[in-house]
Amino acid sequence: MSENAIQAPGPSRNYSAFDAELTHQALNVRLFVRLLGWLKPYLITLFVSIAFVVMAALSQVLMPILTSVVIIDTILVPTTIASDAPDYGLLALVDWIQSTYALEALSAAGLVYVTVLVGQSLLSFAHQLTLYSCSLKALRDLRIDLFAALERKPASFFDHVGVGRVMTRVTNDVENLFQLLTGFGGLAGEFVPFFVALFAMLAISGSLTGVVLVALPVAAIATIAFRIAMRKIFRFIRDSVSALNQYMQEDLVGIDVVQLSGREKQNIEEYGTHNRANRGYEFRAINFEVLYDTFNMSLGSVVTGGIVWFGGGQVIQQDISLGSMILFTSLVQMMIMPIVSLGQQFNVLFRSMASGERIFQALDWDEQLHEPDEPTVMEGRLRGKVEFRHAHFGYYQGEEILKDVSFSIEPGEKLAIVGPTGSGKSTIIRLLVRFYDIDDNMVFVDDVDVNKIHSRDLRERVGVVLQDFHIFSGTVCDNITLNNPDITRERAEWAARSVNADGFIQELADGYDTQLAERGQNLSQGQRQLLAFARVLAADPEILVLDEATANIDTSTELVVQDAVAKLTEGRTSIVVAHRLQTIQECDRILVLHHGVVEELGTHDELIAKGGIYYTLHELQFQDADVAREVAREDEGSEGRTTDPRWVSTPEDPSDTPDRM
Amino acid sequence: MASIGGLLVARLFDAIVPLFMKTAIDSLADPDIEPTLLVPVLSILGIVATRFLIYVFSQRALRRLSISVSYDLRKRLFNHVQFQGAHFFNRFGTGDLMSRAVNDVSMVRMVVSFGAVTILTTVFTLITGLYFMIMLSPSLTFWVVLPLPLVGVAGFGMARALFPYYMDRQEAMAEVTAFTQENLNGIRTVQAMAQEEKEIDRFRDVSTHYAQTVYRVNRYQALMNVVMGFISTASTVIVIFYGGALVLRGEITLGTFMAFFSYLMMVAWPVRMIGMSITMFTAAAAGTERIFEILDYEPEVDDASTKTVTTELRGRIEFRNLVYSHPGAPRPTIDGATFNIEPGETIAFMGRVGSGKSTLLNAIVRLVDTPAGMVFLDGHDIHDFPLHQLRGAVTLVPQDPFLFSMTLRDNLTYDDLSRGDELIWEAAEAAAFADPLRRQLAEGLDTMVGERGVTLSGGQKQRATLTRGMVRDAKVLLLDDCFSSVDTETEERILRGLRRMRGGKTTMLISHRVSTARHADRIFVIDGGRFKESGTHQELIARGGYYADLAAVQSNQDEDRERKARLLRDLDSEISAVPMPEAAKL
Repeated sequence: MSENAIQAPGPSRNYSAFDAELTHQALNVRLFVRLLGWLKPYLITLFVSIAFVVMAALSQVLMPILTSVVIIDTILVPTTIASDAPDYGLLALVDWIQSTYALEALSAAGLVYVTVLVGQSLLSFAHQLTLYSCSLKALRDLRIDLFAALERKPASFFDHVGVGRVMTRVTNDVENLFQLLTGFGGLAGEFVPFFVALFAMLAISGSLTGVVLVALPVAAIATIAFRIAMRKIFRFIRDSVSALNQYMQEDLVGIDVVQLSGREKQNIEEYGTHNRANRGYEFRAINFEVLYDTFNMSLGSVVTGGIVWFGGGQVIQQDISLGSMILFTSLVQMMIMPIVSLGQQFNVLFRSMASGERIFQALDWDEQLHEPDEPTVMEGRLRGKVEFRHAHFGYYQGEEILKDVSFSIEPGEKLAIVGPTGSGKSTIIRLLVRFYDIDDNMVFVDDVDVNKIHSRDLRERVGVVLQDFHIFSGTVCDNITLNNPDITRERAEWAARSVNADGFIQELADGYDTQLAERGQNLSQGQRQLLAFARVLAADPEILVLDEATANIDTSTELVVQDAVAKLTEGRTSIVVAHRLQTIQECDRILVLHHGVVEELGTHDELIAKGGIYYTLHELQFQDADVAREVAREDEGSEGRTTDPRWVSTPEDPSDTPDRM
Repeated sequence: MASIGGLLVARLFDAIVPLFMKTAIDSLADPDIEPTLLVPVLSILGIVATRFLIYVFSQRALRRLSISVSYDLRKRLFNHVQFQGAHFFNRFGTGDLMSRAVNDVSMVRMVVSFGAVTILTTVFTLITGLYFMIMLSPSLTFWVVLPLPLVGVAGFGMARALFPYYMDRQEAMAEVTAFTQENLNGIRTVQAMAQEEKEIDRFRDVSTHYAQTVYRVNRYQALMNVVMGFISTASTVIVIFYGGALVLRGEITLGTFMAFFSYLMMVAWPVRMIGMSITMFTAAAAGTERIFEILDYEPEVDDASTKTVTTELRGRIEFRNLVYSHPGAPRPTIDGATFNIEPGETIAFMGRVGSGKSTLLNAIVRLVDTPAGMVFLDGHDIHDFPLHQLRGAVTLVPQDPFLFSMTLRDNLTYDDLSRGDELIWEAAEAAAFADPLRRQLAEGLDTMVGERGVTLSGGQKQRATLTRGMVRDAKVLLLDDCFSSVDTETEERILRGLRRMRGGKTTMLISHRVSTARHADRIFVIDGGRFKESGTHQELIARGGYYADLAAVQSNQDEDRERKARLLRDLDSEISAVPMPEAAKL
């Protein structure tokens, strides 16, 4: 068997695809459209916002027209040239104010100017508020949807995808989209003036507009060139930054090993290599950035110079008015600005698109636990019968952790599962609570196929104490109730008392209201386990499953824990995965699992009498130490004793599987 | 400096452009003046070209400077952290250090590249703008500038008022991060208890709260822009009313009028920016302070005054009345440890969690830094060894099996990459890691481990770290509870491997299992930092103390209730005891 398992079978899914390099498209339209889906409930707000920004942009265009056409051409230096410059009714308005309120022309114009300016400020204020409101709400919804999708992913997903990698999608990546949404929402505000300005310019002087239009392609080409040049560099920078951070993080986590191995100097050098690479890319990036920024700045000035040259000529020839020429210089800025800001937004755009891809990839990751279409509703309390019928299972394609496992537990019975590391003990538990999808008709609770029961319903009825019990930051009480409003404080305290946890909880600074650090670092291992027991007892499951913790518990703590286990299992169908045989004492029957096969099943006395694997195991652990040592020496060559060869001749269990829940 | 000077000159050129515009406009507006276009246009172009060069040069230099600053800060942070001890890492967690190296460094960088330059150039722009305005028309300047201080004050005030909003937002973001991280770390618990939907509801609250705080920040910023815009408008209005009147009265020219518009933009902007810059500097000051808090932390282990001990080391360990307290602990962790370990001996330490076993081992390699004159290696105070020599001679395998994201070969030869495969395999054989290497890990020593590679099981990881310790073949090997994730059978094989490889060399190990400890030449039972029992397995069994109880309970032969009760009593006292500080569990 072990010979066949030399090649570790690959996972049935390609998990490396989860954070594989993405397409690096600067503008992925499909992705953008999909993102808009989350804006749907807030579309009205979005449209109102865009309406505001369009109005604000229009009033922005009015300002230079007011200054040039009305104030300069009409009031300050009355021109005789029939101006083609559009005034959008401003002249009439000023005239009307002037005559109605008997004001000087200049005062009337000033009044209009102030009004337009104030109006513009208020409009853009309203635009920003509405835009922020709808984008924030949309992203909040997206974030919740993403979180919910992750929350419902099956155990196999988290077996392969690290928490850190998933987490940044919920935090950073969603955050990056905020800039994208607000950026694009505001884009209308940039491009409306562009076209209005173009329109006004054409009305004034076609030839002068030509001068400006020469500059536009230049700006566009520069932007595209910049984009192309930066594309690779941005990626290099991003990768080098993440390499830099990853290196440091790992060095910090393993700092003991680093120091004990005397690797400090070498690590400093390696980190330095990453750091220098990053600096190099940054240096390369700024060369382009500075050139581009300066180029854009200068382009505006050059065009202004061009306008003064050509426009000035036209003014002298009385083709256009002086105000029109000045108006031109203002309008030019409005046309170049959107192109420039689009170029500057490129980085944001690039980052947001990558983030969007990562978010949708996580959302689309179609690894689901298959819930029944019409789940069987279990009425009342379960009797507590558990049955495995010819169950086969493997985490990977072609791998078999469980082979034809069949057994049944009667209501109220306590079953212990024993076997060496990797024999599939924990797998049995995982299947019972449907952490993994299995074929139909393999596992039954009260004679109902677990695949026909909704996983939530099942897990409420089958309480599991996992090997790796997680303590959440919050009070002791929160950790027992897990914020389930159905569990009262009294119930929580009762549960704690029942599992011997009350004593140490009372000793804590604030009793049940003591704040615990994440992962319960201010509790000892034994205390944490008792807390996990209290948590399960408070939830009052009908079937109890206990995966015994192996590591780092000293014997005296183990005794208290065992006492708690006895109380916990009282009157409940219980399965205890026992890593040490002490726990077995209280159990009715014992199941011996080896390489995923049920080798023996019976009471302690029956199995001892049988003289098989359990007997050997029992001898190994319980008999006189010297015997145990000799038994263990067996595999060094001497011929077999009365021990079952399977325990000693396979020193290494080939099905030893990676950490799983 | 030259680059800042360059930027200032560029600003000066900016200020001259409106002057040429003025000349052009005046010549066009006033029929009495001969229209001059060539000179202003050429001048503008000339200025643009010059400014282009200066600007490219200066900006590039300044941004390079800011990149170099962040490069340097990161480098210094990393280097500094490498030599810190347990106290330091207790005080600054990994997440905290990372956030300093990432967020605070980039904050400082931002200030260097924009902040400092912004303040300098804004002040300069302000002065140049004002100078040209006064030159053109002092009386108009007076009225135009009048509202500006108000802009500055309002800008400063509002920027300060913005600060708490920022803090709220940062905290809310931290909440989202913490919630997500914790929840995903505990996903198996959440799912096992069928709490997903409730957790999603809670996340909805957290997430909504965050969205609200972001909205508030942005709303306030938008409001700030409106208010500042309004106040600045006052100046523009003055230019139109008063300046316009002056033009009509012929006191100033149209060109001057237009130039004022331009200068006003130049002047109003820096006034607004100054308030912002001050807030930015406050934030950056906080960031800088956080970085220097790390850089100013003196490494606890002083390695400067040591000289390599040249005589060959034999591996004799001596403790002379070591008393050691972790900072903040109410009682000493080690309370008077005195013992000798001869070269070649194998010693087992037993005792409850928090009894001080790990501290003893950590003290020998100075992961826990004890006072001088208490711990000796071959008769030399461990403080007299350079760290690299001490840690080369004494290898500690810590309790937590930690592997780096690299190949197994690189992991196993982490301290000395030049080691041959032969040595690795020999150590792997002894640590019972050879079989997993051959059978379970398809690529053997070239298997990548970690996030982007293969996830090893707890037992495999423990055996890998054990191999890493064994391969160094040090005079003294310290094993801190390194068999907790392997089954009894594998443990037996490892113990045999140890005997084979460690003949004549000193080995000290911590274990909870009597089955492990009884192989040792001597066993020490520690409780509350003191030695309770010591001797060989037989001696301690005969003595009938804690060790004998433990042996009895673990072999389960004894149904003696009294013994169990005795151990339970012990446990009660442990459970009520003050939790050990983290360092104790190193």
